[in-house]
Amino acid sequence: MIRKLIEELRSRRRVDGAFAARPGAGAAVDATAWAVVALAATPEESWRLTTGCDWLAARQLEDGRVPLQPELRDVIWPTAPAMLAWISTSLYSERVARAAEFLLRHTGRHWKREPDDPVAHDSSIRGWPWVLGTHSWVVPTALALLALRRAGRGEHPRVAEAVALLLDRQLPAGGWNYGNTMVFGQPLRPMPDTTGAALVALAGVTPREKVNASIRYLEEAVKRVRAPLSLGWALLGLTAWNARPAAAAAWIEEALAASDRLGPYETGSLAVLLTAALAPQGLLAKVGG
Amino acid sequence: MPVPDGSGKPERSRRSFLALLGAGGAAGLGAGWWYHGPHEGGLTAEVFIGRAERYDSPLGDLLMRALRELGWGPEGIRGRRVLLKPNLVEPNRAHSHINTHPLLIRAAAETFLRLGAASVTVAEGAGHVRDSLLVLEESGLAEVLVEDRIPFVDLNTDSFFRVPNRGRFTRLDSLLLPATLRQADLVVSMPKLKTHHWTGVTLSLKNLFGLMPGSVYGWPKNVFHQEGIHQSIVDIAASVPVHLAIVDGIVGMEGDGPILGAPRPAGVLVVGRNLAAVDATCARLMGIDPRKIAYLAWASGRLGPIREAHIAQRGEDWRSLRQPFALIDDIPAQRGIRLAAVDPWAHAARGNGGQYTQSPFSRGGQLAGDIL
Repeated sequence: MIRKLIEELRSRRRVDGAFAARPGAGAAVDATAWAVVALAATPEESWRLTTGCDWLAARQLEDGRVPLQPELRDVIWPTAPAMLAWISTSLYSERVARAAEFLLRHTGRHWKREPDDPVAHDSSIRGWPWVLGTHSWVVPTALALLALRRAGRGEHPRVAEAVALLLDRQLPAGGWNYGNTMVFGQPLRPMPDTTGAALVALAGVTPREKVNASIRYLEEAVKRVRAPLSLGWALLGLTAWNARPAAAAAWIEEALAASDRLGPYETGSLAVLLTAALAPQGLLAKVGG
Repeated sequence: MPVPDGSGKPERSRRSFLALLGAGGAAGLGAGWWYHGPHEGGLTAEVFIGRAERYDSPLGDLLMRALRELGWGPEGIRGRRVLLKPNLVEPNRAHSHINTHPLLIRAAAETFLRLGAASVTVAEGAGHVRDSLLVLEESGLAEVLVEDRIPFVDLNTDSFFRVPNRGRFTRLDSLLLPATLRQADLVVSMPKLKTHHWTGVTLSLKNLFGLMPGSVYGWPKNVFHQEGIHQSIVDIAASVPVHLAIVDGIVGMEGDGPILGAPRPAGVLVVGRNLAAVDATCARLMGIDPRKIAYLAWASGRLGPIREAHIAQRGEDWRSLRQPFALIDDIPAQRGIRLAAVDPWAHAARGNGGQYTQSPFSRGGQLAGDIL
C-alpha cells in the first residue's frame, strides 16, 4: 500500500522537481510542499527532494513568505507547508529562518470581542490567516504553529498564543471546524481534517485532558471517513496523541481503492495520506503527544 | 445597512453592454451591469415555480417543463457544455437539508443531456471544508455522480483567471475565477431554499460564493466576508456570467441557516434565467420581503428585477405556495424582513435550547409595506 502511494506521488513529479496539483495540472506550491514532506520520510527518495525544495525556494519572496502564486502576495498560507518541506530535508535552514521571521511578524486581523458579538470565540487571540488582512483560522494557525515548533521557534510568545487560539476555537463537545465555535448561541459542527491538523499542532504542548473530547470525537468520526485528505489528517491527529486506530492501514487501503471509482486524488491529499501511512515517522517525528 | 442608490456608480451604456454580450456570446447573462434606476425601468424576467413534494418524483419532467415555459428548448442547449453549481457547504450525512439534493442534481444533468448538451459537469468550492470529496461522499452526491459518470471539479483547488470586478460594491478591483468556468457555455446555479444568519436568505446569488476558489480566498471565503457578504454577492454576480438558476425548495431550511436551521419541506422547485428575479420570487415564497434583503435591494435595477410587477410568473402562482419560513428575532439579518400579509404567528422565537417555537409575541421588525 505504501509502495503504491509512493509510486502515485512520484508520477506527479515534474522535471523541474515541482509536483502537479493533480494529473495533467500545473505545478502547485502546496502540492509540492506536501509531496516533499511525505516522500522525505522514505529514505530512497530523500536525495531527489532537493529539486522540489529548490523549486519552493525560488518562490519564496524576499520577506520570507511563500505565496500561492507570486502575484498573490497576500495569499500566504503555503508558507508553513513550504517550511515543513524544507525542514524535512534539513538543508534549507536559512529559508526556514526567513519564513519563520515572516510568520512571526504577521498575523490575521483581530479585534476585541464585544459582549453582544454573535460569534463566541475570542477574536483578539492572534493566529494566522489564509490570506493577509483577514481573520485567523484553525488550519493556517495549526500549520504555522507546527512549522514554527519544528523550526526551533517553539519558545516564541506567538507560539503560545497560537496554542491559546486553537484551544479557544475547540468546539464545546470536542473537535474543530474551520474556526467558528458558536454563532448566535448555537454550537457548530466539527470536521475530521481540521480536528486532525489542530491535534497534530497541539501534541506535545498541551495537556491531554484539554483535548480529550476532540480525540474522542475523531476516534469515532474517522471510522467512516475514506476521503484521503480527511482520513490522512485524522490519522495524523490521532497518531500524534498515541491513539492511532488499529485499522488505520486497512482504511488507507480502502481510501486508495476508492480512487478507482472517484478518479485520481489531488496530489496534496495523496501526500497527506502517505504521511499518515508512514506516521509516526516523518511529519510527526518530533511531535510528542 | 444602507442601500446605495446607484449614484456615483460607473454606468455602462446599453450600446457598450450589448457589444460585450455579443463578444461573449453568452445568451444568459441576463440583466446587464448598468443601473436602470430604482424603478427597474425596462427590466423584466420570467420565473417558473413547480410543485415537487419528493426527491423521487419525476423531477426531470418538471425541469423540462420549466425550461420549455421559460422559452429554452434544445436549440439553446444542444452542443453546449453545462456546468451545474450546487450548494455543498458542509459534509453531514444526518442533515441532508444543508446541501442541494443529489437526486435534483441528477435530474438536472439528465435534462440537459436529453436536450443535447455536449457535456455536463458538476463543480463546487465548498465553503466550510477543504475536503470536497468528503462533502461528496457524505452528501450522497458521489454515488450519483459515479453511477451517472458525471465529472466533478473542486473549484477550491482549480487553477484560476482574473476578471475585472464589474460591481465595485467591494474594494476589490478584480476577481479570480476558477478556470473551469472558461470551459462552460452554460452555468447553472443550484442552491437550496434557505434562510441565512448573515444575509437573511441564501439562494441562487449567494450560491455563487462557491464559485470562488478557497485556495485564493480562504475558508470560509474569508476575503468576501471581510469585504461584506452582501456587497460581495453583488460583485460576483455582476462579474460572472450565470445563465440559469434551479432552486431546490423541495426541502429547504428555516431558522438559523445556512447550517444549523431546521428542515422545511416547501415542495417547490424554482427556475429562472435571471438570478435576481429568481431569488426575489424565492424570498416571497418564504414569506420574506426581497426589498429587505440588502443584496437583493442592490441587485434591483442592476442585476435584474425584483419587483413582482416586473417578474412574469410561470407554473404555479407563488401566492398559493407561499409559506413563511421561521425567522429568528435574535438574528439581525432576519429581523424585520417578513413580507406583509403573512401570518404573524409563523414568526419564530428561540429560547428553548435551539428548538423553534411559534409565538405570536415575537413578530419582530416591521410587517408593514406593500408586496412588490
